[in-house]
Amino acid sequence: MAQRSVDGSSFTLADLRGERRRMRKEAVIKTVFLGTAALSIVISALIVFSLARETFTFVTQVDASSLWSEGWFPRRGLYDIKTIFVGSVLVTLIGMLVAIPLGMGAAVYLSEYAKPKVRRALKPILEILAGIPSVVLGVFALAWISPQIVQRMNSNSALFNLMAAGIGVGILVTPLVASIAEDAMKAVPKALREASYGMGARKVTTCVKVVIPAAVSGLVAAFIIGVSRAIGETMVVAIAAGASGGSLFSMNVFERGQTMTAAMASMASGTDAVKGAGLTFQSLFFVGMLLFVMTLLLNLVADRFVRRVRQKY
Amino acid sequence: MSGIKFMLVTMLTALVATACGGGGTDAEGLTGSIVISGSSTVEPISIGIAEKFSLDNSGVRISVDGPGTGDGFELFCKGDTDISDASRAISESEIAACEAAGVEYIELKVANDGIAVLTSPDNDVIDDCLSFSDLYSVVGPESQGFDNWSDGNALAAEIGATKAAPFDSAPLAITGPGEESGTYDSFVELVLEGIADGRGKDAQTRPDYQASADDNVIVQGIEGSANSLGWVGYAFYDANKNELKAFQIAGEDGKCVEPSPETIADSSYPISRPLYIYVNTTKMEESPALEAFIELYLSERGLATASEAGYVELSKEEAAETVAAFENRAS
Amino acid sequence: MGTSSKALTNSSEFVRDRLRGRRFDTTGFLFRVLLLGTLFITLLLLTTLIFDVVSGGWSVLSTRLGSFLTGKLSISATTAGISQGLRGTFFIGLFVVLIAFPLGVGAAIYLEEYASRSRLSRIIDVNIRNLAGVPSVVYGLLGFAIFVKALRFITGPQSNGATVISAGLTLAILVLPIVIITSAEALRAVPDSLREAGFGVGATRWEVVRSHVLPYAGPGILTGTVLSLARALGEAAPLILVGATTGFLSEGAGYSLSSLQERFTAMPIVIYTWAGRPQEGFRSATSAAIVVLLVVVLLANTVAILLRNKYEKRR
Repeated sequence: MAQRSVDGSSFTLADLRGERRRMRKEAVIKTVFLGTAALSIVISALIVFSLARETFTFVTQVDASSLWSEGWFPRRGLYDIKTIFVGSVLVTLIGMLVAIPLGMGAAVYLSEYAKPKVRRALKPILEILAGIPSVVLGVFALAWISPQIVQRMNSNSALFNLMAAGIGVGILVTPLVASIAEDAMKAVPKALREASYGMGARKVTTCVKVVIPAAVSGLVAAFIIGVSRAIGETMVVAIAAGASGGSLFSMNVFERGQTMTAAMASMASGTDAVKGAGLTFQSLFFVGMLLFVMTLLLNLVADRFVRRVRQKY
Repeated sequence: MSGIKFMLVTMLTALVATACGGGGTDAEGLTGSIVISGSSTVEPISIGIAEKFSLDNSGVRISVDGPGTGDGFELFCKGDTDISDASRAISESEIAACEAAGVEYIELKVANDGIAVLTSPDNDVIDDCLSFSDLYSVVGPESQGFDNWSDGNALAAEIGATKAAPFDSAPLAITGPGEESGTYDSFVELVLEGIADGRGKDAQTRPDYQASADDNVIVQGIEGSANSLGWVGYAFYDANKNELKAFQIAGEDGKCVEPSPETIADSSYPISRPLYIYVNTTKMEESPALEAFIELYLSERGLATASEAGYVELSKEEAAETVAAFENRAS
Repeated sequence: MGTSSKALTNSSEFVRDRLRGRRFDTTGFLFRVLLLGTLFITLLLLTTLIFDVVSGGWSVLSTRLGSFLTGKLSISATTAGISQGLRGTFFIGLFVVLIAFPLGVGAAIYLEEYASRSRLSRIIDVNIRNLAGVPSVVYGLLGFAIFVKALRFITGPQSNGATVISAGLTLAILVLPIVIITSAEALRAVPDSLREAGFGVGATRWEVVRSHVLPYAGPGILTGTVLSLARALGEAAPLILVGATTGFLSEGAGYSLSSLQERFTAMPIVIYTWAGRPQEGFRSATSAAIVVLLVVVLLANTVAILLRNKYEKRR
């Protein structure tokens, strides 16, 4: 290119299109990138593939009555789905009761109140919290939250309990909720706020009556993504909720319990080795498939809300 | 962009190199790998041996896991592991699985263990000595739903041979190992099976107790409520003696015996059991490292690991029997 | 809009109020206190957590840090070390860097720079967002079925596939969607004028991407990738399914390439296992291991945050 311009001759459109070799290289590169992007579809297919076979075996061979029995004891052939489902729901509920106020509060403060300097100092702290591995929060939930918070709340509480696990999950999800919620509120155009101030509204009025309603679909998305993450959280529950062998159906959050994820982790130490009455190994995949479908639905719904925010502003 | 190119090249070379790598050879010492899995009860002994062994044989790769005796045999009978730790003897169905896969093995007894039946030190409601029928009436298959010790009284009276029953009224909270564990199997076999068979019931515990694969969870659970009941291997009781109280147990002769290294060694404590390792003999033929490992296991220094891990060492005669079994493996 | 006239009178009252100047705004103050309260609780939890593990692990960290870092897994808490856990975590990080980063950035470039608004690219986009939300245990099942079982002949036939290769590949796949999403965000932040300048002088798309877009988006991409690396280093659940060793592991071939096909363990697994040991000594060993893992993960996070702050200022 450089040489040609030295010649001083004028450009034509053909020059802009470039040489054939350059074009071919371009096409190859594009294909490579397309390949990397399409890999995500391959991964999804692999997930479904790896879950489907054993799930199918489980569903076709399991004795239906064992899916609705006194508890989740996979090694005994009792696969009471409601036990671990309710466990998951309870842990998620407790987690969200912690994460929604903490996460949304942090988001509102950071996006509406904090001066840039304060924001720069506080945001990294939330990000550090987001980076704490879940095993660490699991040990913390067991060694600190359970004796210091849960057992003070209810002195009859067991050391291993769903409450402590739920609070641990809540702390884990808080930064995620905060970050999505903050993004949503920052996406609200300045003009809306200025209009509100122009009418003489106070900051709190602007925040609660203007910004939050305007950002509501983003906030809903933050909530749903938080729920999806809490349902999928494994290690906190596996460490802090006890009951790794199996669990009876119970709604008492101050007792040991099991979630779908923790049930998988406790079965899986040495996945190849899972032994039990017939379908124990397959039940692992069945629970995995249920989890996959549940989180997939939640994410699809959340995605819709996120899109709505993007379209609006 | 050359960075990414470099990365890709390195990555590919690395993968190719590893795919062709295989096991390196060490001119001096033993090489190869030893994979051990099975009982979490025996795991500490095997780890202790592995630690001793790898001091002198750094070329041998050893891994030890403890998912549970049953899970361990599942792997062993597929030929995936070299040694299977077991806190009970191999079962009929497992023998069949091993046979079907053509896995040949020898059974070596390496230590003795007792199962301690435990409660909280705060428990002043229940007497200190339990008989098998006392235990059956609160944890056996017919006790499902009992949440008070006194719920078991009728059942205990029906069976007879009680020590502590009739129990006073006290809330009953049970914590024990889960079904993947050899400790569960041994407890069922030693304590519950006799009575259950006699009454035409399946030999298993009630399902509604807090089960855990993690002995720490069990210890915490027993500690956690005043009139709790639970059972763990003696070593775990020994490690947490201050927080727990062990019941004396009365066997068929009706004599109350406390668990201790002595009573377990001479089998006067009714819930005692041998601990085993199962060795894949076909693999041992091929691997001098595996053979040397077992030799260390069965040496005096090796068998002493049992007491270091909190179990009871084999008596002289038992040790001689084990060594003989190993030496006569060809026949 | 039926209430518009009412709203109008309301707002005019507000304007009058404001102009007149108001007394102390109690509601506003309380709201602010509430918000600060939530932040304070979050901060308090974080400091408690860090204080709790550091004080718990202090007895180990202060007396035998060296032997703790270089020692091997052991049944005795007083001599147990984490060298094998660090080794596994190192290799997992390597796999993520070598596999997830190039693939993830490549996919992001395709989605942001090449893809037209076609059906395919929309499907890919939605798919990636969903993959990012799939629980990590489920990725563990994928790793088990594909890498441990089906590809055993590559990942390590002698170790039944339960090797650091399987673990590294599983975690690389786990963080791939995160790498793609964060990189795509960084690319989206590049002003179009920059691209147009490139096209204006006749550059092909790849030339524009290479010389204009990537240098500009580089720090943003790096931030996202480092954050996802930190995520991978802290994951435990998929490793359990892939078959990380929990009991004992001899040193074997150390950091050499052939050691990739051996059995493995990693820091989060060491912590999980030790947290379940009954002996008192393991409580402090667990805390000490947590401190080490936190230092590794938070160091990665801090690097990412500093990078981004620098980058944001430059803009």
